[in-house]
Amino acid sequence: MPDLDGATAYRRDETDAVATCVLDDLVLLYHHRSGQTHMVISPVPEILARMADGAPVSAQAMHDRLARDYNLGPVDDAVAEIGAHLDALVALGLVRPA
Amino acid sequence: MRHAITLRIGPATFRIGSAWRQPIAELGRLYATYPDMDGAIADFTVRLQPTSLARRWVRPSIFITGDHGLADAAPMSLAHGLLAAEMGMNLQMALGWRRHLLLHASSVEKDGRVLVMTGESGSGKSTLAALLGERGWRFMGDEFALLDMDSGAILPFPRLVSLKNRAIDVVTQAVGVARMGPLLAATAKGDIRHMVPRGDAVARMGEGGMPALLLFPRFGHDAAVRPVGQGEIFMRLTQASTNYVALGEPAFTALTRFVANVPARAIDFPSGDDAIAMVDRLWEQLA
Repeated sequence: MPDLDGATAYRRDETDAVATCVLDDLVLLYHHRSGQTHMVISPVPEILARMADGAPVSAQAMHDRLARDYNLGPVDDAVAEIGAHLDALVALGLVRPA
Repeated sequence: MRHAITLRIGPATFRIGSAWRQPIAELGRLYATYPDMDGAIADFTVRLQPTSLARRWVRPSIFITGDHGLADAAPMSLAHGLLAAEMGMNLQMALGWRRHLLLHASSVEKDGRVLVMTGESGSGKSTLAALLGERGWRFMGDEFALLDMDSGAILPFPRLVSLKNRAIDVVTQAVGVARMGPLLAATAKGDIRHMVPRGDAVARMGEGGMPALLLFPRFGHDAAVRPVGQGEIFMRLTQASTNYVALGEPAFTALTRFVANVPARAIDFPSGDDAIAMVDRLWEQLA
Protein backbone atom coordinates (compact mmCIF):
# COMPACT_ATOMS: atom_id res chain seq x y z
CA MET A 1 0.00 0.00 0.00
CA PRO A 2 2.53 2.61 -1.11
CA ASP A 3 0.12 5.55 -1.36
CA LEU A 4 -1.10 5.53 2.23
CA ASP A 5 1.81 7.23 4.01
CA GLY A 6 0.35 6.43 7.42
CA ALA A 7 -2.70 8.66 6.71
CA THR A 8 -6.24 7.51 7.50
CA ALA A 9 -7.26 4.98 4.91
CA TYR A 10 -10.70 3.93 3.74
CA ARG A 11 -12.07 1.00 1.81
CA ARG A 12 -15.30 -0.54 0.61
CA ASP A 13 -16.08 -4.13 1.39
CA GLU A 14 -18.21 -6.40 -0.79
CA THR A 15 -20.85 -6.23 1.93
CA ASP A 16 -21.01 -2.44 1.54
CA ALA A 17 -22.47 -2.84 -1.97
CA VAL A 18 -25.22 -0.48 -3.08
CA ALA A 19 -27.78 -0.50 -5.89
CA THR A 20 -27.52 2.74 -7.83
CA CYS A 21 -30.13 4.74 -9.73
CA VAL A 22 -29.32 7.99 -11.50
CA LEU A 23 -32.21 10.45 -11.52
CA ASP A 24 -31.93 13.70 -13.42
CA ASP A 25 -30.45 15.79 -10.61
CA LEU A 26 -29.00 13.25 -8.17
CA VAL A 27 -27.98 9.66 -7.54
CA LEU A 28 -29.89 7.24 -5.32
CA LEU A 29 -28.00 4.52 -3.47
CA TYR A 30 -29.84 1.59 -1.95
CA HIS A 31 -27.59 0.08 0.73
CA HIS A 32 -28.34 -3.65 0.91
CA ARG A 33 -26.88 -4.18 4.36
CA SER A 34 -28.84 -1.46 6.18
CA GLY A 35 -31.87 -1.23 3.87
CA GLN A 36 -31.35 2.53 3.78
CA THR A 37 -31.76 4.69 0.69
CA HIS A 38 -29.29 7.56 0.33
CA MET A 39 -29.64 10.54 -2.02
CA VAL A 40 -26.23 11.86 -3.05
CA ILE A 41 -24.71 14.30 -5.52
CA SER A 42 -21.18 14.81 -6.86
CA PRO A 43 -18.54 14.08 -5.77
CA VAL A 44 -19.93 11.17 -3.72
CA PRO A 45 -20.80 8.87 -6.66
CA GLU A 46 -17.40 9.58 -8.23
CA ILE A 47 -15.59 8.77 -4.97
CA LEU A 48 -17.49 5.52 -4.47
CA ALA A 49 -16.86 4.47 -8.07
CA ARG A 50 -13.12 4.84 -7.48
CA MET A 51 -13.25 2.54 -4.46
CA ALA A 52 -14.93 -0.32 -6.31
CA ASP A 53 -11.75 -2.44 -6.25
CA GLY A 54 -11.95 -2.73 -2.45
CA ALA A 55 -8.34 -1.58 -1.94
CA PRO A 56 -7.56 0.85 0.92
CA VAL A 57 -7.21 4.46 -0.17
CA SER A 58 -6.32 7.70 1.64
CA ALA A 59 -7.90 11.10 0.99
CA GLN A 60 -4.71 12.12 -0.80
CA ALA A 61 -4.74 9.01 -3.00
CA MET A 62 -8.45 9.54 -3.78
CA HIS A 63 -7.60 13.11 -4.77
CA ASP A 64 -4.98 11.82 -7.18
CA ARG A 65 -7.42 9.36 -8.72
CA LEU A 66 -10.12 12.02 -9.14
CA ALA A 67 -7.61 14.56 -10.48
CA ARG A 68 -7.02 12.35 -13.51
CA ASP A 69 -10.56 13.16 -14.66
CA TYR A 70 -11.47 16.44 -12.95
CA ASN A 71 -9.94 19.83 -12.22
CA LEU A 72 -10.12 19.93 -8.42
CA GLY A 73 -8.46 23.29 -7.72
CA PRO A 74 -5.92 23.83 -4.91
CA VAL A 75 -4.68 20.45 -3.67
CA ASP A 76 -4.87 21.06 0.10
CA ASP A 77 -8.46 22.28 -0.01
CA ALA A 78 -9.55 19.43 -2.28
CA VAL A 79 -7.86 16.77 -0.11
CA ALA A 80 -9.52 18.17 3.01
CA GLU A 81 -12.91 18.17 1.33
CA ILE A 82 -12.47 14.63 0.04
CA GLY A 83 -11.44 13.53 3.55
CA ALA A 84 -14.61 15.07 4.97
CA HIS A 85 -16.71 13.22 2.39
CA LEU A 86 -14.97 9.93 3.22
CA ASP A 87 -15.58 10.45 6.95
CA ALA A 88 -19.26 11.19 6.21
CA LEU A 89 -19.48 7.98 4.16
CA VAL A 90 -17.99 6.04 7.08
CA ALA A 91 -20.65 7.53 9.36
CA LEU A 92 -23.35 6.37 6.92
CA GLY A 93 -21.89 2.86 6.80
CA LEU A 94 -21.16 3.00 3.06
CA VAL A 95 -17.36 3.01 3.54
CA ARG A 96 -15.26 1.62 6.36
CA PRO A 97 -11.88 2.54 7.83
CA ALA A 98 -9.20 0.36 6.22
CA MET B 1 -67.28 -8.04 19.49
CA ARG B 2 -71.06 -7.53 19.59
CA HIS B 3 -71.37 -6.03 16.13
CA ALA B 4 -69.20 -6.84 13.11
CA ILE B 5 -68.96 -6.57 9.34
CA THR B 6 -66.42 -7.96 6.86
CA LEU B 7 -65.55 -5.78 3.87
CA ARG B 8 -63.26 -6.20 0.89
CA ILE B 9 -61.70 -3.09 -0.63
CA GLY B 10 -59.41 -3.77 -3.58
CA PRO B 11 -57.13 -6.67 -2.54
CA ALA B 12 -57.62 -6.24 1.23
CA THR B 13 -60.29 -7.77 3.45
CA PHE B 14 -61.19 -6.16 6.77
CA ARG B 15 -63.26 -7.44 9.66
CA ILE B 16 -64.54 -4.47 11.64
CA GLY B 17 -65.92 -5.17 15.10
CA SER B 18 -67.65 -2.61 17.27
CA ALA B 19 -69.10 -2.42 20.75
CA TRP B 20 -71.89 -0.29 19.26
CA ARG B 21 -74.35 -1.02 16.45
CA GLN B 22 -74.30 2.41 14.79
CA PRO B 23 -70.88 2.41 13.06
CA ILE B 24 -71.46 -1.10 11.66
CA ALA B 25 -74.94 -0.17 10.41
CA GLU B 26 -73.52 2.90 8.66
CA LEU B 27 -70.75 0.86 7.06
CA GLY B 28 -73.34 -1.71 5.94
CA ARG B 29 -75.36 0.96 4.20
CA LEU B 30 -72.45 2.77 2.53
CA TYR B 31 -70.61 -0.41 1.47
CA ALA B 32 -73.82 -2.18 0.33
CA THR B 33 -72.60 -2.49 -3.28
CA TYR B 34 -69.21 -4.00 -2.29
CA PRO B 35 -68.66 -7.79 -2.34
CA ASP B 36 -70.42 -9.71 0.42
CA MET B 37 -67.56 -11.16 2.46
CA ASP B 38 -69.52 -12.52 5.39
CA GLY B 39 -67.54 -15.35 6.97
CA ALA B 40 -64.38 -14.70 4.91
CA ILE B 41 -60.94 -14.76 6.51
CA ALA B 42 -59.85 -11.15 6.78
CA ASP B 43 -56.37 -9.69 6.23
CA PHE B 44 -56.96 -7.24 9.07
CA THR B 45 -59.15 -6.78 12.09
CA VAL B 46 -60.32 -3.34 13.24
CA ARG B 47 -61.88 -2.92 16.67
CA LEU B 48 -63.93 0.03 17.86
CA GLN B 49 -64.04 -0.40 21.60
CA PRO B 50 -64.99 1.78 24.56
CA THR B 51 -62.11 3.69 26.15
CA SER B 52 -63.42 2.30 29.48
CA LEU B 53 -66.33 0.11 30.53
CA ALA B 54 -68.52 3.08 31.44
CA ARG B 55 -67.75 4.84 28.16
CA ARG B 56 -69.80 2.24 26.30
CA TRP B 57 -72.95 3.97 27.57
CA VAL B 58 -72.06 7.32 29.14
CA ARG B 59 -70.79 9.86 26.56
CA PRO B 60 -69.66 6.90 24.41
CA SER B 61 -66.00 7.24 23.51
CA ILE B 62 -64.32 5.07 20.85
CA PHE B 63 -60.77 3.77 20.99
CA ILE B 64 -59.60 2.56 17.55
CA THR B 65 -57.40 -0.52 17.55
CA GLY B 66 -56.98 -3.84 15.75
CA ASP B 67 -54.10 -5.97 14.45
CA HIS B 68 -52.11 -2.75 14.31
CA GLY B 69 -52.83 0.14 16.62
CA LEU B 70 -51.41 3.38 17.92
CA ALA B 71 -51.12 3.46 21.69
CA ASP B 72 -51.72 7.20 21.88
CA ALA B 73 -54.60 7.44 19.35
CA ALA B 74 -57.07 10.08 20.52
CA PRO B 75 -60.50 8.68 21.44
CA MET B 76 -63.43 9.70 19.23
CA SER B 77 -67.10 10.30 19.96
CA LEU B 78 -69.64 7.68 18.89
CA ALA B 79 -71.19 10.29 16.57
CA HIS B 80 -67.97 9.99 14.55
CA GLY B 81 -68.05 6.17 14.59
CA LEU B 82 -68.02 5.87 10.79
CA LEU B 83 -64.89 8.01 10.63
CA ALA B 84 -63.32 5.87 13.37
CA ALA B 85 -63.97 2.73 11.31
CA GLU B 86 -62.47 4.30 8.18
CA MET B 87 -59.44 5.52 10.14
CA GLY B 88 -59.08 2.05 11.61
CA MET B 89 -58.99 0.47 8.13
CA ASN B 90 -56.49 3.06 6.90
CA LEU B 91 -54.33 2.40 9.94
CA GLN B 92 -54.21 -1.35 9.23
CA MET B 93 -53.20 -0.69 5.62
CA ALA B 94 -50.61 1.93 6.52
CA LEU B 95 -48.97 -0.19 9.21
CA GLY B 96 -49.55 -3.72 7.99
CA TRP B 97 -49.86 -4.04 4.21
CA ARG B 98 -46.84 -5.64 2.52
CA ARG B 99 -48.09 -6.94 -0.82
CA HIS B 100 -47.73 -3.62 -2.62
CA LEU B 101 -45.84 -0.37 -2.19
CA LEU B 102 -48.38 1.98 -0.62
CA LEU B 103 -48.46 5.52 -1.93
CA HIS B 104 -50.52 8.10 -0.06
CA ALA B 105 -52.22 9.21 -3.26
CA SER B 106 -55.51 9.24 -5.10
CA SER B 107 -55.84 7.63 -8.50
CA VAL B 108 -58.21 7.46 -11.48
CA GLU B 109 -58.03 5.45 -14.71
CA LYS B 110 -58.90 6.06 -18.33
CA ASP B 111 -58.24 3.74 -21.29
CA GLY B 112 -56.29 1.36 -19.06
CA ARG B 113 -53.83 4.03 -17.92
CA VAL B 114 -53.70 5.63 -14.50
CA LEU B 115 -53.41 9.20 -13.22
CA VAL B 116 -51.86 9.31 -9.74
CA MET B 117 -52.27 12.41 -7.53
CA THR B 118 -50.34 12.83 -4.31
CA GLY B 119 -50.30 15.56 -1.70
CA GLU B 120 -50.89 16.41 1.91
CA SER B 121 -54.32 16.39 3.49
CA GLY B 122 -56.14 19.44 2.09
CA SER B 123 -54.27 19.41 -1.24
CA GLY B 124 -57.48 18.53 -3.07
CA LYS B 125 -56.41 15.07 -4.24
CA SER B 126 -59.53 13.33 -2.85
CA THR B 127 -61.93 15.93 -4.23
CA LEU B 128 -60.24 15.86 -7.61
CA ALA B 129 -60.39 12.06 -7.81
CA ALA B 130 -64.06 12.12 -6.76
CA LEU B 131 -64.96 14.73 -9.41
CA LEU B 132 -62.94 13.01 -12.16
CA GLY B 133 -64.73 9.78 -11.23
CA GLU B 134 -67.98 11.47 -12.29
CA ARG B 135 -66.55 12.77 -15.57
CA GLY B 136 -65.47 9.81 -17.62
CA TRP B 137 -62.67 8.48 -15.44
CA ARG B 138 -62.82 5.36 -13.29
CA PHE B 139 -62.23 6.23 -9.64
CA MET B 140 -59.55 3.93 -8.15
CA GLY B 141 -58.94 5.41 -4.71
CA ASP B 142 -58.65 8.63 -2.73
CA GLU B 143 -56.19 7.58 -0.02
CA PHE B 144 -53.84 4.77 -1.11
CA ALA B 145 -52.54 3.88 -4.56
CA LEU B 146 -51.06 0.37 -4.49
CA LEU B 147 -47.94 0.01 -6.65
CA ASP B 148 -47.36 -3.58 -7.76
CA MET B 149 -43.62 -4.09 -7.39
CA ASP B 150 -43.40 -6.77 -10.11
CA SER B 151 -45.44 -5.25 -12.92
CA GLY B 152 -45.24 -1.54 -12.03
CA ALA B 153 -49.06 -1.31 -12.26
CA ILE B 154 -51.21 0.76 -9.91
CA LEU B 155 -53.99 -1.24 -8.25
CA PRO B 156 -57.22 0.26 -6.89
CA PHE B 157 -58.18 0.71 -3.25
CA PRO B 158 -61.60 2.33 -3.75
CA ARG B 159 -62.83 2.84 -0.21
CA LEU B 160 -65.37 5.56 0.56
CA VAL B 161 -64.07 8.98 -0.45
CA SER B 162 -63.41 11.14 2.61
CA LEU B 163 -64.38 14.75 1.85
CA LYS B 164 -63.63 17.66 4.12
CA ASN B 165 -65.15 21.09 4.70
CA ARG B 166 -65.71 23.04 1.45
CA ALA B 167 -65.28 19.93 -0.73
CA ILE B 168 -68.44 18.41 0.79
CA ASP B 169 -70.87 20.78 -0.96
CA VAL B 170 -68.96 20.69 -4.26
CA VAL B 171 -69.05 16.90 -4.44
CA THR B 172 -72.59 16.51 -3.05
CA GLN B 173 -73.83 18.76 -5.87
CA ALA B 174 -71.98 16.60 -8.41
CA VAL B 175 -73.09 13.15 -7.20
CA GLY B 176 -76.38 13.68 -5.35
CA VAL B 177 -77.16 13.19 -1.69
CA ALA B 178 -78.08 9.48 -2.07
CA ARG B 179 -74.39 8.59 -2.44
CA MET B 180 -73.30 10.62 0.58
CA GLY B 181 -72.84 9.38 4.13
CA PRO B 182 -73.87 11.26 7.27
CA LEU B 183 -72.29 14.67 7.92
CA LEU B 184 -69.69 14.24 10.66
CA ALA B 185 -69.44 17.75 12.07
CA ALA B 186 -66.46 19.20 13.94
CA THR B 187 -64.08 16.24 13.83
CA ALA B 188 -60.37 16.80 14.47
CA LYS B 189 -60.03 17.48 10.72
CA GLY B 190 -63.13 19.69 10.47
CA ASP B 191 -66.42 18.58 8.92
CA ILE B 192 -66.19 15.25 7.10
CA ARG B 193 -68.65 13.47 4.83
CA HIS B 194 -68.04 10.23 2.95
CA MET B 195 -69.02 9.57 -0.65
CA VAL B 196 -69.81 6.16 -2.15
CA PRO B 197 -67.81 5.60 -5.37
CA ARG B 198 -69.70 4.82 -8.57
CA GLY B 199 -70.67 1.24 -9.33
CA ASP B 200 -67.94 0.79 -11.96
CA ALA B 201 -65.25 1.71 -9.42
CA VAL B 202 -66.47 -1.07 -7.13
CA ALA B 203 -67.15 -3.65 -9.86
CA ARG B 204 -63.62 -3.20 -11.30
CA MET B 205 -61.72 -2.84 -8.02
CA GLY B 206 -59.52 -5.84 -8.85
CA GLU B 207 -58.35 -4.26 -12.09
CA GLY B 208 -55.19 -2.12 -12.17
CA GLY B 209 -53.46 -0.14 -14.88
CA MET B 210 -50.06 1.27 -15.73
CA PRO B 211 -49.32 4.74 -14.33
CA ALA B 212 -49.20 7.38 -17.09
CA LEU B 213 -49.12 10.71 -15.23
CA LEU B 214 -48.26 11.86 -11.70
CA LEU B 215 -49.64 15.15 -10.38
CA PHE B 216 -48.93 17.06 -7.18
CA PRO B 217 -52.16 19.06 -6.79
CA ARG B 218 -52.47 22.10 -4.52
CA PHE B 219 -55.87 23.65 -3.96
CA GLY B 220 -56.42 27.31 -3.16
CA HIS B 221 -53.83 29.04 -5.36
CA ASP B 222 -53.86 30.74 -8.75
CA ALA B 223 -53.70 28.29 -11.62
CA ALA B 224 -50.11 27.23 -12.36
CA VAL B 225 -48.27 24.21 -13.73
CA ARG B 226 -44.67 23.51 -12.70
CA PRO B 227 -42.21 20.76 -13.60
CA VAL B 228 -40.86 18.72 -10.66
CA GLY B 229 -37.33 17.27 -10.62
CA GLN B 230 -36.98 13.50 -10.35
CA GLY B 231 -35.07 13.74 -7.08
CA GLU B 232 -37.86 15.77 -5.50
CA ILE B 233 -40.46 13.34 -6.87
CA PHE B 234 -38.61 10.38 -5.37
CA MET B 235 -38.28 12.12 -2.01
CA ARG B 236 -41.94 13.15 -1.90
CA LEU B 237 -43.12 9.66 -2.85
CA THR B 238 -40.99 7.98 -0.18
CA GLN B 239 -42.42 10.46 2.33
CA ALA B 240 -45.89 9.59 1.00
CA SER B 241 -45.33 5.85 1.50
CA THR B 242 -45.82 4.15 4.85
CA ASN B 243 -44.16 0.87 3.84
CA TYR B 244 -41.28 1.90 1.56
CA VAL B 245 -38.65 1.15 4.21
CA ALA B 246 -40.26 -2.12 5.29
CA LEU B 247 -40.36 -3.51 1.74
CA GLY B 248 -36.63 -3.05 1.13
CA GLU B 249 -34.95 -3.31 -2.26
CA PRO B 250 -38.03 -4.34 -4.30
CA ALA B 251 -39.61 -1.03 -3.23
CA PHE B 252 -36.45 0.88 -4.24
CA THR B 253 -36.48 -0.78 -7.65
CA ALA B 254 -40.21 -0.26 -8.21
CA LEU B 255 -40.23 3.35 -7.06
CA THR B 256 -37.17 4.38 -9.08
CA ARG B 257 -38.77 2.78 -12.15
CA PHE B 258 -41.98 4.71 -11.45
CA VAL B 259 -40.08 8.01 -11.09
CA ALA B 260 -38.01 7.43 -14.22
CA ASN B 261 -40.97 6.42 -16.42
CA VAL B 262 -43.95 8.50 -15.32
CA PRO B 263 -44.14 12.18 -16.35
CA ALA B 264 -44.96 14.49 -13.44
CA ARG B 265 -46.16 18.04 -12.81
CA ALA B 266 -47.19 20.14 -9.81
CA ILE B 267 -50.49 21.94 -10.36
CA ASP B 268 -52.03 24.80 -8.38
CA PHE B 269 -55.71 25.50 -8.85
CA PRO B 270 -58.36 27.84 -7.42
CA SER B 271 -61.40 25.56 -8.04
CA GLY B 272 -62.43 22.06 -9.04
CA ASP B 273 -63.44 23.16 -12.54
CA ASP B 274 -60.04 24.78 -13.12
CA ALA B 275 -58.31 21.63 -11.90
CA ILE B 276 -60.29 19.35 -14.19
CA ALA B 277 -59.47 21.52 -17.22
CA MET B 278 -55.76 21.41 -16.26
CA VAL B 279 -55.84 17.64 -15.77
CA ASP B 280 -57.51 17.08 -19.15
CA ARG B 281 -54.91 19.28 -20.87
CA LEU B 282 -51.92 17.65 -19.16
CA TRP B 283 -53.30 14.16 -19.82
CA GLU B 284 -53.62 15.06 -23.51
CA GLN B 285 -50.04 16.43 -23.63
CA LEU B 286 -48.11 14.01 -21.43
CA ALA B 287 -49.88 10.73 -20.81
